[in-house]
Amino acid sequence: MDINLSTEDLQFRDEVRSFFEENKIKQGEDYFAWREGWFKKAREKGGWDVPKWPAKFGGPGWTPTQHYIWEQETAQANLPFDLPFGLGMLAPILMNYGSEEQQERFLPDIRDRKVNWCQGYSEPGAGSDLANLKTKAVLSKDGTYYTVNGSKIWTTLAHMADWIFCLTRTDDSGIKQQGITFLLFPMKQEGIEVKPIITLGGSHTVNTVHFTDVKVPVENRIGEEGKGWTYAKGLLEHERTGLAGLSKSLVELEQLKDKARTIQRGNGNLMDEASYKSKVGELEIDLLATEFTELRSLASAASGGEPGPESSILKLKGTEIKQRIQKLTVEASGIYASAWGDKGAGPSFAKGGTAGYLNSRYFTIYGGASEVQKDIVAKKVLGLTTGKSK
Amino acid sequence: MNFELSEEQKMIQQSVERFVQENYDLTNRVKISSEDPGYSQDYWTAMAELGWLGLAFSEEDGGFGGNQIDTLVLMEQFGKGLVLEPFLANIVLGGGAIKRGGTPAIKESVLPNLIEGNLQVTLAYAEEQSRFDIEDVATAAREDGNNFIINGKKSMVLNAESADKIVVVTRTNGSQVDEDGISLFLVDATSAGIERENFPTVDGLRASEITFTDVEVSSDNLIGEKDKGFSILQAVVNDAILALSAEAVGAMEVLYKDTVEYTQQREQFDHPLSDFQVLQHRMVDMFMEYEQCKSLLLRATMETVQDPILAQRTVHALKHLIGKSGIFVGESAVQLHGGMGVTEELRIGHFFKRLLVIDSQFGNSDFHLDKFTSL
Repeated sequence: MDINLSTEDLQFRDEVRSFFEENKIKQGEDYFAWREGWFKKAREKGGWDVPKWPAKFGGPGWTPTQHYIWEQETAQANLPFDLPFGLGMLAPILMNYGSEEQQERFLPDIRDRKVNWCQGYSEPGAGSDLANLKTKAVLSKDGTYYTVNGSKIWTTLAHMADWIFCLTRTDDSGIKQQGITFLLFPMKQEGIEVKPIITLGGSHTVNTVHFTDVKVPVENRIGEEGKGWTYAKGLLEHERTGLAGLSKSLVELEQLKDKARTIQRGNGNLMDEASYKSKVGELEIDLLATEFTELRSLASAASGGEPGPESSILKLKGTEIKQRIQKLTVEASGIYASAWGDKGAGPSFAKGGTAGYLNSRYFTIYGGASEVQKDIVAKKVLGLTTGKSK
Repeated sequence: MNFELSEEQKMIQQSVERFVQENYDLTNRVKISSEDPGYSQDYWTAMAELGWLGLAFSEEDGGFGGNQIDTLVLMEQFGKGLVLEPFLANIVLGGGAIKRGGTPAIKESVLPNLIEGNLQVTLAYAEEQSRFDIEDVATAAREDGNNFIINGKKSMVLNAESADKIVVVTRTNGSQVDEDGISLFLVDATSAGIERENFPTVDGLRASEITFTDVEVSSDNLIGEKDKGFSILQAVVNDAILALSAEAVGAMEVLYKDTVEYTQQREQFDHPLSDFQVLQHRMVDMFMEYEQCKSLLLRATMETVQDPILAQRTVHALKHLIGKSGIFVGESAVQLHGGMGVTEELRIGHFFKRLLVIDSQFGNSDFHLDKFTSL
């Protein structure tokens, strides 16, 4: 056992650091021009624009330790914004289950950040019980296109998306995991209606999407008809490992402490108050432990094995940690916690603090609610059965 | 960075695991614990012969040149059987102080014998008023020519009943709570003026209150420099925290796995208990706390090997989490075993008691949270 990074890893870390430093946005520079240039240069580094893609598809082919270093460094640096839907969620599905034509057709635009994707999974009747979906896709008599009818909900950024990857039901005669078909289609077309849902924090991120007789050519189907659940499940696993965001949380925790130290209490500051300090301390200790849980899981993946049982707890712990940081930010705001919106009063961090906290409540709901995650750990890791499963 | 044990460490791990499986079923443990001296002399000799007692000592001192990771490997397995042999008192505490501060003469006379299992040494540091503050030392050592005269009382001294020698932490200078002015001495347990009041602890081990009345000790028996003993004490206590935490992780593994097994066998309301989601989630929480403790144990141990001073904060974090999570896992195991959980018949209650004791030693969960947030 050795906690040190190898010489090669240290060199890699320095290389990442200097790349970030050299390509920082300059004062007065146009943001979108900088963003485009940044990804171009990252690509020239050997796939740094798509760090998680395998080498076969143009990714860097890093070791788990290199990925860990990258995540740590990105948490500290100010990188151009990026969305996970195409790059992190659809791309692995295309790579694993898409045809060569589909890969050539969709992957380049995803990589160039030209096309925005959204994820059409959840439905009014299918949340954590995702397989219960009802959106119908009916194949035409000549077998050339599907007609899609139904509704999706909680569709993040559907109002900005060019395309959707969508789970639809093509057969309801068997068990609910069967008869699901994975389709891709453009959002800007007749028969698709997007309605905003305003969440507790007052922002518009998610939507309901209604489909009325939407025509989808059969070549936009991933893999076989009726096998969509298998493809989506693989993707959900992929999603799970990327949700912890621990490096980011460490940075946010340090920022929180700095904020708390600016709040005077008597001769000291908020970080001198026993109860507040204890909560911050317990949070940091959980974070220190979870960081090593992530490293252990990376290490077992690196030695060729499957991620160990410890990886199953990363989403649970990681999301809970993020929520606690938001909550402590609200607590630090004191009386200003009740001021709403950007025009709110009080210290700068109090503005939007409560909205951030409220929005953070969904961290333990999306991508499989914490309770569902626990069901999975109980079944897959502890080997506990759920009596008479329906 | 890697989390792999060396081939040697893996072999030791397997051999300790086998030793615990073969020798430490509950009936045998209860029997050994209830008879004097509270552990098995045969097992202690076997451990010495297998080389386990010398792992964490340098080759110069007669050991194998290992470090805290080797101790972790041993203690985690010991934790799975609640091993009674006085490894912590002798090797981590007494031996740990001597290897750090002993003169060549002391090392030579003590360590080889200790490693061979022929001599026992413990550490007397805590006092009634000190609670968890290791710098709070009232027991005085007054200089008298070439000797020191020790007066005072030491509390909760582990395995003192069987100890041949005691490393005693004394005040030679400064006020009662100063880090400066603390000195460590090695004294014979049978010296005139030493009185031991022995008693069992909650977990079936043994401890003593020790009164020192005009106990004479030569200045040759100083461990470390006079007045500068605190840094040795702190390093030894940190090692003890790592060792106990490893033991706790082993114990927590047994508790969550026993609970998973038990709930699958026990039927109520026409279902195995494990069918009930509320119980499943409690067990998932137990499993998660175990894994988190294991992660932080590895982190604190690896950091300590790298740089013990920088690792101090992580060691505090570890003892906080071990205390809190250990009790959570123990209480949950008892709760999920229902009535059987509160009997002495199942082993889980014994593991729970050990975790309770571990929280109360070398600073409890709250104490270390406070230390962590103050650094």
